[in-house]
Amino acid sequence: MEQREQISLAMAQIIRARSETGQLVQFEEIWTELTGQGVVKSEVADQKSFLESILREAVAGNEDLEEISGKNGIPHYYSALSLSETYAGILIRKEESSLIAEIVRENSAIYPRPVPLDFFKESPFDLTQQEILDCLGKMGEQGEYQDIAQTTTSIGTVFLYSNRHLDPGYASILAEWFDVGQINSP
Amino acid sequence: MAKPGGWAGKVLRVDLSTGRISTEDTIEKYKDFLGGTGIGYRVIWDEVPTGTKPFDPANKVVFGVGPLAGTGAPCNGRTAVTTLWPTCWPKPLVASGHMGGHFAAELKYAGYDAIIVEGRADRPVWLQIEDGKAEIKDARHLWGQGIRRTTVEINQQMGPEASVAAIGQAGENLVPMSVVINSYSHSAGGIGGVMGSKNLKAIGVRGTGSVRIAGNKEEWERVVKLHLSLLGANNQHVVPNSPQPWAEYYSAGSRWVASTGRQWGAAEPNIETGACNPRDLNKIAYRTNNAAFFLGDSAWKYTVRGNGCTSCPIRCHTVLKVPKVSSKYGIPAMGQNTCAGLMLGRGFFKTFPDGPKGETAIEACMVGIHLADDVGVWENYGQMQRDFQELYYNGTIKNKIGENEFRSYSWDKYEKGDPTFLFELLPRIAAKEGELATALGMGTGYLLERWSIPEQEWQKDQKVAYWKMGHPKHHANEDAGQCGVIINTQYNRDAQCHSHANFTRNGLPIQVQKRLAADIWGSSDAVDAIAAYTPMNIYKAKMAKWSLLRKELHDSLSLCNWMGPWIASPLKERNYRGDDSIESLLYSLATGDKKSREELDTVAERIFLLHRALTIRDMGTKEMRADHDTMPDWVFTDPAGKDAFTQGTNRMDKEDIKLAMDMYYEEMGWDKQTGAPTPSTYKKLGLGDVADELDKRGLLP
Repeated sequence: MEQREQISLAMAQIIRARSETGQLVQFEEIWTELTGQGVVKSEVADQKSFLESILREAVAGNEDLEEISGKNGIPHYYSALSLSETYAGILIRKEESSLIAEIVRENSAIYPRPVPLDFFKESPFDLTQQEILDCLGKMGEQGEYQDIAQTTTSIGTVFLYSNRHLDPGYASILAEWFDVGQINSP
Repeated sequence: MAKPGGWAGKVLRVDLSTGRISTEDTIEKYKDFLGGTGIGYRVIWDEVPTGTKPFDPANKVVFGVGPLAGTGAPCNGRTAVTTLWPTCWPKPLVASGHMGGHFAAELKYAGYDAIIVEGRADRPVWLQIEDGKAEIKDARHLWGQGIRRTTVEINQQMGPEASVAAIGQAGENLVPMSVVINSYSHSAGGIGGVMGSKNLKAIGVRGTGSVRIAGNKEEWERVVKLHLSLLGANNQHVVPNSPQPWAEYYSAGSRWVASTGRQWGAAEPNIETGACNPRDLNKIAYRTNNAAFFLGDSAWKYTVRGNGCTSCPIRCHTVLKVPKVSSKYGIPAMGQNTCAGLMLGRGFFKTFPDGPKGETAIEACMVGIHLADDVGVWENYGQMQRDFQELYYNGTIKNKIGENEFRSYSWDKYEKGDPTFLFELLPRIAAKEGELATALGMGTGYLLERWSIPEQEWQKDQKVAYWKMGHPKHHANEDAGQCGVIINTQYNRDAQCHSHANFTRNGLPIQVQKRLAADIWGSSDAVDAIAAYTPMNIYKAKMAKWSLLRKELHDSLSLCNWMGPWIASPLKERNYRGDDSIESLLYSLATGDKKSREELDTVAERIFLLHRALTIRDMGTKEMRADHDTMPDWVFTDPAGKDAFTQGTNRMDKEDIKLAMDMYYEEMGWDKQTGAPTPSTYKKLGLGDVADELDKRGLLP
């Protein structure tokens, strides 16, 4: 097997293995792992462009391999066999301040429904209550997030929604339905 | 047709008045009605005279299972129990209760497709059925015992693998709001008093036989695997309730609650549900935890596992172990149930000291489970608890029951949300002790009549969720707009139809739901987003008809309508399509009677039509549209005064609902003016004899 093909196969396996654990992987991590496996020799400057070109070919040549970039433009890789585009999209935005707003907008637009605040404490968001409140506080000060609004159900659960997609009355009844109505109408 | 598979081949008839036990040939007499409710309706039509009361010896109770019960088909554990319904107000009419568990399979393995119980024993008895033999046994030593003790005693005689369907003290005391329960937690509401009126304490059934699959065995395996691959979580919710690595969609309202990090905390050792990729068919049972879904995240630490019915991987009856309830309330630490049964105890209280999803609410559920499922009290899909709350807080209870009786209850405990209050209430309902307990045990319609409260008053109040004829809404306009309204007009108790709600609640985005709807009902306009309803169209009428027929089909095949139909799936590679023909594929292979999806739906339509004919016959009127197919006033109101067809309301429009009923009747081949099926519809569906009988009574349109 040619070295190029061997490296390509190893790269695909690394991406798939990482995806099976629910994570994205960057080029540098792949490079480090290839080195650790002994597939490529210790890091030297001229290897980078060589390996990057193989990675591009590997992604193009394997239907399941996908590239995704966040706002910082750093490409990350995953296998669609294990990770959905939706999940990868959450992971790539995990460190971005706009994550909560974008998730809320997506939910308001496509399902449509508001999202309970505690939802962001769950995996893969894994935010603490304080982090969520801090994020909402910052969003409240920035013009680009003025569409993100809150509604509280009859049992006190706070839901977020985007008023670009849901009017307050609609968001309120949907939140009540998901939090109380569905439970009382099993 | 070659030798049929699926059916056991015999129907057992037990006359408790004479002690005579006989059998009939299932295929010869009932094949056109499949089983389950189909056999039940046929027996009531043929054998129970108009004017019979539920507790009369002339009433019959039919425990019916279908050709798929006891096979390897997923979700086949349902037994339909059909009889004249004691809580149907103002006049008892035919209806059915449905229990899961293992009774259906054991009955098939014992050689029977149904049990027809008739007459009245002169002393308490129980019925022992074992491998083709049935015997009426003395139950005097069991009379007065709860369901748990009765079950244990019969299992000690028949062996632990016998399935015992027993009534508690509520049934013995002819409380209309009473249940029969098998397999610890699987109940059929409304049946307990009917069995009690026959002095029938229990039926124990054990079979060591099998169900023959008539078709190609490899093809059968393939279809079973296809069916398994289409399953979601409970109620066929096909997306997880939080983002999972494999999932394109998610919904916080989904009963698919499994996730990395979530654990059955009372299992030894603890079990992590994991992400539950839908392609892993060995982990379907991890998807659902209805205790966590209904009671909140704190239920995870008390979860031992899921329990459920024969051949069902969903396991929707969550087993909980809450050690503190033993010392605090004197009840076992372990208990199990699902949905309304799980929440029975909690439902009586308006508030708890630590909120609706706190520890006290879980304790109330445990107390409710152990009391109600032992004395055998039925909650009528939460209506008993809603009635109780309303009647207490509006002062009616205090006014109606007399001072001494009122003071005998610890209302301070009740208002604080103390679960020990349930020890004062539930056993009294079972014993008909006092005015309050007696009235609650009668069912809503008779309670309102007894206390001179006009039914219309209950029909104005959306939060009481009362629909008609003594029963609540069950997946009505809040779930599917006009389709839900139509469905809720059709039965003589709560509709119990999940075909439509399992689709609208499946968690997929509305545009995906619309695409699937176009495949099944002809247009994406058949469904709307929740609380954003559009005016009536013919596709909604088609959806309503399809939903009702699939319910009756499931009830007659022994498939679970709390899970099916399976027209959506969790599989992206199928574009989230399920398979609308899964029932006919399974039926054809099991029985050898090859039927297409359309042909099997026609059989379901016959069964549903017979239910309609029975209702018309026993109401003594063909004016079904005016007198039966009604809806409460609250359907046409909105708490915030929003107009119908605006976003954010479930409010329906009166003229639009008239149009909805017109379209529905037309789809069914029923007369639009009266809502009564036409003679040609009866004949087309093979019920010419039924039409002739109705004609004699002047009950055809």
